[in-house]
Amino acid sequence: MTSTDDRADELHAAGLDGQNRTALGRLLGTGNIGHAEEGDDGVMRATVRIPEDQLIFDPSIIVFPHGGSVELTLINDDKNTHCAVLPSNGDPKIIWLVNHSKGIARLELGGPGTYYYGSTTGNDEGRGLTAALVFGGEVPDSAKLDRPPQPRP
Amino acid sequence: MTDYVDAGEAVPHRTLSATKQQAPPINDVNYERIQNARSEPENWLTYYGTYDGQRYSTLNQINKDNVKHLVPAWVFQAGSVGLHAGASTYSFEACPIVVDGVMFVSGPDGKVWAIDPTTGEELWRYKHASPYDTSLCCGNVNRGVAVGHGKVYLYTLNAHLIALDAQTGELVFDTVNGDVRAGESGSVAPLIVKDMVIVGSAGGEFGTRGHMDAFDAQTGERRWRCYTVPKPGEPGSETWGDENAEAWQRGGANCWVTATYDPELELLFQGTGNPAPDFDGEVRPGDNLYTDSVVAVDVNTGEIRWHYQFTPHDLWDYDSTMENLLFDAPDGRKLLAHADKNGYFFVLDRTNGELVRVFPFVDRITWGEITPDGKVTPKVYPDEEGVPVHFWPGPAGGKEWTHMSYNPETGLIYVPVQEVGATATRRRREFKESIPYWGAGVAVDLDDHYGFVAAIDPLTGEEKWRWNHEYPMCASTLTTAGGLVFQGTPTGEFVALDASTGEKLWQFQCGSGHHSSPMTYEVNGRQYIAVPTGWGGWVEGFLPGLLGAAAGDALFCFALPES
Repeated sequence: MTSTDDRADELHAAGLDGQNRTALGRLLGTGNIGHAEEGDDGVMRATVRIPEDQLIFDPSIIVFPHGGSVELTLINDDKNTHCAVLPSNGDPKIIWLVNHSKGIARLELGGPGTYYYGSTTGNDEGRGLTAALVFGGEVPDSAKLDRPPQPRP
Repeated sequence: MTDYVDAGEAVPHRTLSATKQQAPPINDVNYERIQNARSEPENWLTYYGTYDGQRYSTLNQINKDNVKHLVPAWVFQAGSVGLHAGASTYSFEACPIVVDGVMFVSGPDGKVWAIDPTTGEELWRYKHASPYDTSLCCGNVNRGVAVGHGKVYLYTLNAHLIALDAQTGELVFDTVNGDVRAGESGSVAPLIVKDMVIVGSAGGEFGTRGHMDAFDAQTGERRWRCYTVPKPGEPGSETWGDENAEAWQRGGANCWVTATYDPELELLFQGTGNPAPDFDGEVRPGDNLYTDSVVAVDVNTGEIRWHYQFTPHDLWDYDSTMENLLFDAPDGRKLLAHADKNGYFFVLDRTNGELVRVFPFVDRITWGEITPDGKVTPKVYPDEEGVPVHFWPGPAGGKEWTHMSYNPETGLIYVPVQEVGATATRRRREFKESIPYWGAGVAVDLDDHYGFVAAIDPLTGEEKWRWNHEYPMCASTLTTAGGLVFQGTPTGEFVALDASTGEKLWQFQCGSGHHSSPMTYEVNGRQYIAVPTGWGGWVEGFLPGLLGAAAGDALFCFALPES
């Protein structure tokens, strides 16, 4: 069994957790995992940063307890300009993030399921600036099939 | 360090486009208007054009004499941004709707647009966010929207019924109707009947229990749900083994193609999908109702009035979801025509489901035989573990979901035919929710395939003509009073055929294969033919020989030169 630390060590040893090491960019999905916090108003909030010269959203995976309203604070600590195009019901949302800037994105996303967002400038997305918003939970009972509980993987 | 620069708040992507998020007002599309859709051929009011599924237009400005002059009027490109579900299998499968000078059409990945049908200008857009990890058997696709009651209805990839304001594209309601954790998804074009919106389930390759659902068109509240696999004690449950058997729980029979409808009978004619697991019948003994059937459903209650099963105890993945085209015999008898995946063409009495005639419409059928009186005899099927079995038609069928059309002037039905076989090797597996549940390894033939458009007289079963092509026909036909049949090919050509003879009169290369439904409309006295293009979907099922063909997602619109 591989522990989280082992995995991080393996990625580092393989040169996959940074820019221009083994590969040209950073392997997607190798960043940190964060968890959104749900406020009394029902909005789920989280913060992501773009660290200097890492070309990654940190955390690169944010887990939400269920689908709904999201408020994401985005901070660009890099010395280059990036952006974020994020999925949201109605239309994707875009925010331009010049060097050392901070903004927010308010999103409406259904769950369960995974959505990806990225910095759509140059090939930021391929270098590592692609990240995931992961929503847990179940669909409402009214949307479930009328059958006994079934085995899952 | 100085304070951060204020980047503000993320804005909708469309605000950085030329889209103005405003369409001209349209007159209300209500039940009465849809019933009389043929009386306003300038519009295409519902998925099939009319409730009967004939895909026939009385427009004749474009006709067999002048079609050679047809040219593109405009092209609309769907495009995509970022990672999305089915990144390699998306396809532009929809049939556009046109109402009072506004086109409404859905694309892959939850996109809906209002478009100026004379110029191709985008008027508004809406994009439902679709989870990247949604279970999809057959690609990121959607077959179209319904328009009525001032709204545009879409059934999304993750099985939500959403309603949008027809003028602005703003969300009116969003109702979750399917369980994505169970492998359910959505691809069907909704149908408006009375004050309801009707949709159906997808997910037959994941062992779901199929259903169709009716919703209040104003509120999104469900009026009824009709399960197409009965549970123990219900009529038909005896076809799923003994009372302790569990197969019904994962039985399939999904409803992922729009029903046709007879307003006099108040019956919906819904085709149902394959049983699950697709190829391993030993775990589901019996006929497995109502898989591979047409069910006649009372639109007011959701009760099944009658059914006809085209492939009892299916072992070849022969969904019968494709349309049930309604037409009347010269003596007035109310009939229903259905060209099934199993290679046979059925004509039924749509008042009671009685078989009128059945005959083959493809050249190669080896899976079994259906006699003229409807007796089904399976011959070749994957019943032995690990033993490959080859059969025709393959699992995509002699005709897949793409639609045929009926021209009352010629009395002919124009069927897009696929001649492709396949090899299935039974491999039993346990059921686990959301994991594909086929019960076999399947490889569709990479060669020895071809296709044609068949012009069939449904009153006699005679094939009057056929237009041959090197590749199977994987797109819907459209027929018009101009004496024409339109067909898109897998290699990108959009062709016009003489409806009487099958002679090819015109073609245009669209740059990517066709797997959609063309339609026609008229604005300001000018007739247009519109066709979404973009090769994708379940290509490995219906034509793996073109898995490497160019993808695309463009909507082409053609007209005669204005001069």
